[in-house]
Amino acid sequence: MIEVVLTDSLRKKVRVKCNDDDTIGDLKKQVAAQTGTSADKIRIQKWSNIYKDHITLKDYEIHDGMSLELHYN
Amino acid sequence: MANRTDPAAKSIRGTNPQNLVEKIVRSKIYQNTYWKEQCFGLTAETLVDKAMELDHIGGTFGGNRKPTPFMCLVMKMLQIQPEKDIVVEFIKNDDYKYVRVLGAFYLRLTGTDTDVYRYLEPLYNDYRKLRQKLPEGKFVLTHVDDFIDELLTKDYSCDIALPRIKKRWTLESLGALEPRKSVLEDDFEEEEEKEENDQDGLEDGALEKDYYRGRSPVRERDRDRRRDSHRHRDRDYDRDRDYERDRDYDRERGRGRERDRERERDRERDRDRHRLREEKEYGRDRDRDREREGRERERRDRDRGRRRSHSRSRSRSRDRKRHARSISPRRHEADDVGVREEPKKKEKKEKKDDGTDHPDPEIAEANRLRAALGLKPLR
Repeated sequence: MIEVVLTDSLRKKVRVKCNDDDTIGDLKKQVAAQTGTSADKIRIQKWSNIYKDHITLKDYEIHDGMSLELHYN
Repeated sequence: MANRTDPAAKSIRGTNPQNLVEKIVRSKIYQNTYWKEQCFGLTAETLVDKAMELDHIGGTFGGNRKPTPFMCLVMKMLQIQPEKDIVVEFIKNDDYKYVRVLGAFYLRLTGTDTDVYRYLEPLYNDYRKLRQKLPEGKFVLTHVDDFIDELLTKDYSCDIALPRIKKRWTLESLGALEPRKSVLEDDFEEEEEKEENDQDGLEDGALEKDYYRGRSPVRERDRDRRRDSHRHRDRDYDRDRDYERDRDYDRERGRGRERDRERERDRERDRDRHRLREEKEYGRDRDRDREREGRERERRDRDRGRRRSHSRSRSRSRDRKRHARSISPRRHEADDVGVREEPKKKEKKEKKDDGTDHPDPEIAEANRLRAALGLKPLR
């Protein structure tokens, strides 16, 4: 179980607990549930790398405590 | 300059008509090449030409949320704000389905409630296929009436939030609209009439349509089966009456299939007899127990005494029941016990699978959320 921190451009922080074999899409759903936006309006990035929905966190080498960028579409 | 709304345009729902589209989606449209190249300086007439070239509908797609040409044209219509006549022309035209859908979408965004229902409901009869682009970038098949249904029932379509309109029954009660008459209504009425005639079964060619149905053996058998199924449900309440009814009906009809039905009924009757016996015995035993307990209560005054007698009488009665009964009731009991244990086990297993009863409250809550979203619990 890993915990990922997502930060908004308005410095809103969201902490999500997930498994490392969850996909980015699942992570987006959890974030959407916590923030209240819709899951398909969220974009998760690291610098300019936009993370795709169907790839798992393990494949993106996202470890416990890592922070990601939260953007809106 | 190019993105400003026509100054002569009215405000819709209290705001600049272009604000009907959200800020982020709007900026995506303005940055789009289709918008910049094709939609520059469009008027109502040239817009029709562009609309005729459309070949798919959809919202934004891809990682960058790129808008479809359909969306760009909707935006353009919001910008130039064509008159209602022109929009109605778009909808009424039969040749180009995408022009029709474009007009319908624009009307849904900008029209009044009554207009929306009045002009969009006739489109329910249009069964033509449409190509829809999904947010993943793939194409999927949909139909015009499917899309219109989405527009009228959901509040989000093609990445644009649809304005709220009053419900149809509200408008009907206000008198602004007539109750909805579906084109399929005549077909439904025919179906209902046919069903009613089947159930009666005694009308001799009351309707001309039913002449071929009136006395066909297939139909009567179906009717019988239906009646039988009702009877089987009522078995628990009216057992004795049903036995007699079954016998009478057997005598009356005398058809080939009767044999099978009789066999089934006999089997069920036997099962019922066993159950009847069980219940009678159980009832007798219960009465005996109650009498015994009453006598014992009279004799002894202590609570412990009463409890002892309860347990003793119960165990005695249980032994007696076991000896007195035949094999099948024993199985019946065993089945009951087995069935009771299984759901308990299943419940326990489900709880563990979900992980919602984790000792750590944070993790339990996270698991609850995940279960609600359809994800597996945390490891």
